[in-house]
Amino acid sequence: MSAAISMFVFGAITAVLSLQLPLGALRMPGSGFFPFTLGLALMALAAGHGVRIYLARPKAAAAQAPASSTLPEGDGATRRVVLFVTGVIAAVVLLKPLGYTLASFLLMLALLQILGIRRWYISLAVALGSAATCHVVFVRLLQIPLPSGWIF
Amino acid sequence: MIESLQYLADGFAVAMTGQNLLYCLIGAIVGTLVGVLPGLGPIAGIALLIPATFGLNATSALIMLAGIYYGAMYGGSTTSILINVPGETASVITCIDGYQMAQQGRAGPALAIAAIGSFIAGTLAIFGLVLIAPPLAKAALAFGPPEFASLMIFAFVVLSNVTGKSLVEALMMAIVGLILGTIGMDPVTGNERFTFDSAYLLGGIEFVAVAIGVFGLGEILVNTAKPPAQLEQRVLVPHFRDLYPTLQDLKRSIGAILRGTGIGFFAGLIPGPAPVIATYAAYATEKRLSRHPEEFGRGAIEGVAGPESANNAATQSAFIPLFVIGIPFGPVPAILLGALLIHGVTPGPLLISDSPQLFWAVVASMYIGNFILLLLNLPFVPLFANILRVPKKILLPLIMLFCVTGMFSVNNSVLDIWMMLGFGVLGYVLRGWAYEGAPLLLGLVLGPKLEVAFRQSVMISHGDFGIFVERPVSLTLLLLTLVFLVFPLLKRAWQSLRPTRSDGTAPGGPQ
Repeated sequence: MSAAISMFVFGAITAVLSLQLPLGALRMPGSGFFPFTLGLALMALAAGHGVRIYLARPKAAAAQAPASSTLPEGDGATRRVVLFVTGVIAAVVLLKPLGYTLASFLLMLALLQILGIRRWYISLAVALGSAATCHVVFVRLLQIPLPSGWIF
Repeated sequence: MIESLQYLADGFAVAMTGQNLLYCLIGAIVGTLVGVLPGLGPIAGIALLIPATFGLNATSALIMLAGIYYGAMYGGSTTSILINVPGETASVITCIDGYQMAQQGRAGPALAIAAIGSFIAGTLAIFGLVLIAPPLAKAALAFGPPEFASLMIFAFVVLSNVTGKSLVEALMMAIVGLILGTIGMDPVTGNERFTFDSAYLLGGIEFVAVAIGVFGLGEILVNTAKPPAQLEQRVLVPHFRDLYPTLQDLKRSIGAILRGTGIGFFAGLIPGPAPVIATYAAYATEKRLSRHPEEFGRGAIEGVAGPESANNAATQSAFIPLFVIGIPFGPVPAILLGALLIHGVTPGPLLISDSPQLFWAVVASMYIGNFILLLLNLPFVPLFANILRVPKKILLPLIMLFCVTGMFSVNNSVLDIWMMLGFGVLGYVLRGWAYEGAPLLLGLVLGPKLEVAFRQSVMISHGDFGIFVERPVSLTLLLLTLVFLVFPLLKRAWQSLRPTRSDGTAPGGPQ
């Protein structure tokens, strides 16, 4: 249901924003015509889909069918994903101040911890090794202008 | 025909230069890696490598990126057979009998048949491409904006019909993609749309960010959500000497390989995730035709040979719509289209006549690439299988680091990384809803083309929508679209009239 609602809202936002653009006429559609039509179509599909899910609801509840989600659940799943994404966000924020090489070392260290590598020397070795390899390959060999910090 | 062969010979001359051979080899190796690594499919893999092609000419770039695509199809079978985890969705079916064979100590022959079948299928399919692409391109020259618009609508509906469980859900994803495609500059008038005065959004949504985000990062996050114990896996790596199939194996497989090739080739010509559909169709065909259907699911070699040949044939023939009409029929060709556009090549009916060198060199490189992959996969399979011994706990952060680095290098932009992260979270949410990402990507890439074709059509006809049904090709495509839209409704109505067979009989779709 959350999916249908999200789709409907996205369609509505698109349609409303499109109205601020010139719609044009049928013989000469303007910039807003295509996105406006798409927004309306998305709203219609989402509404129909939502109603169908709502009508089918009692049956699904009786069968105790978990929505056809393909995500693993329980056992701190959401917590790990949130931590993982937070780790990446932190690394991207630190990318410019610290420079690519140091940021990638910290990113690896954090992600390895989040995924449950227990022995600290393994984490350290893998993080050091991958940051060094990436530095050599991407910064030195491929010469990608990655942000450089105060060490590298 | 003779002319084609002459061009093909010239193509070989270009493809055989040291530089292009090297890129073909790199593409094949990276593709095999992408096929073996979890969380990194051909879509994210190709997207990540696009920046690496910036310094190359278009021909070398496409040779390498195409190599990743069909290389991934070879590599995807390895994990299916060895650890029962498909490297790609196109290898899901191979798990069934491939893993059973591995359990019986016959991993070697299963891997070998998968490689041999892929080689035969790939080679034959390229031959088909050589035969039908040039005449098809000539026919497509008669296409005007209305035909292109109708063809794209047809492609969306068919793709939506075959990917997910729900046509409506897939269509919604396609529309979301089309809407995202309208962000930036209006392709007809140059007006700004939905940019919120940001110079970054003026160029539109970076499709590489969507591809790596939804398909790469989304997959990494799904793996992260799994309990740590599930991230450990035991891998049985076969020895080199065990690799060879027996004569009996080969005899049983050859029919399956040829049938798989035929099925796969035609699957590639219709819109949809061709390799995936092809494997299901090939498996079903083999099971039906087999003299010992009871062996299927218990390690029947035909169950590996048929689908693996089919996905490779489909991979090659999927290049035909891309090259000939310039419209990708699936998510991976869509990524390749994006890469071609970056290199200033616009595929379409004129590509073969305007840039014969590029077209024929890429085709020739596919022959070479298939040969390289056969060599890579037969003796070196134990080597690639060893990568599977690296714990996922270490692989996932590494792949994440590659995604961040690769994304940055596309435009040297940190904003692109944020965009990728956003779409990664979206990809994760979409998996939670069991929505497909493929129609979204196709919508994003095709959106501007569809809009231009549509607006040009109504401008030509002065606002008369009759232009779409007055022209025979356009009308045929729209009628076919209607059939695909109405058919599932009729099917559902018919099923609801017979409520006795409501549950548990439907075959499961790809994960």
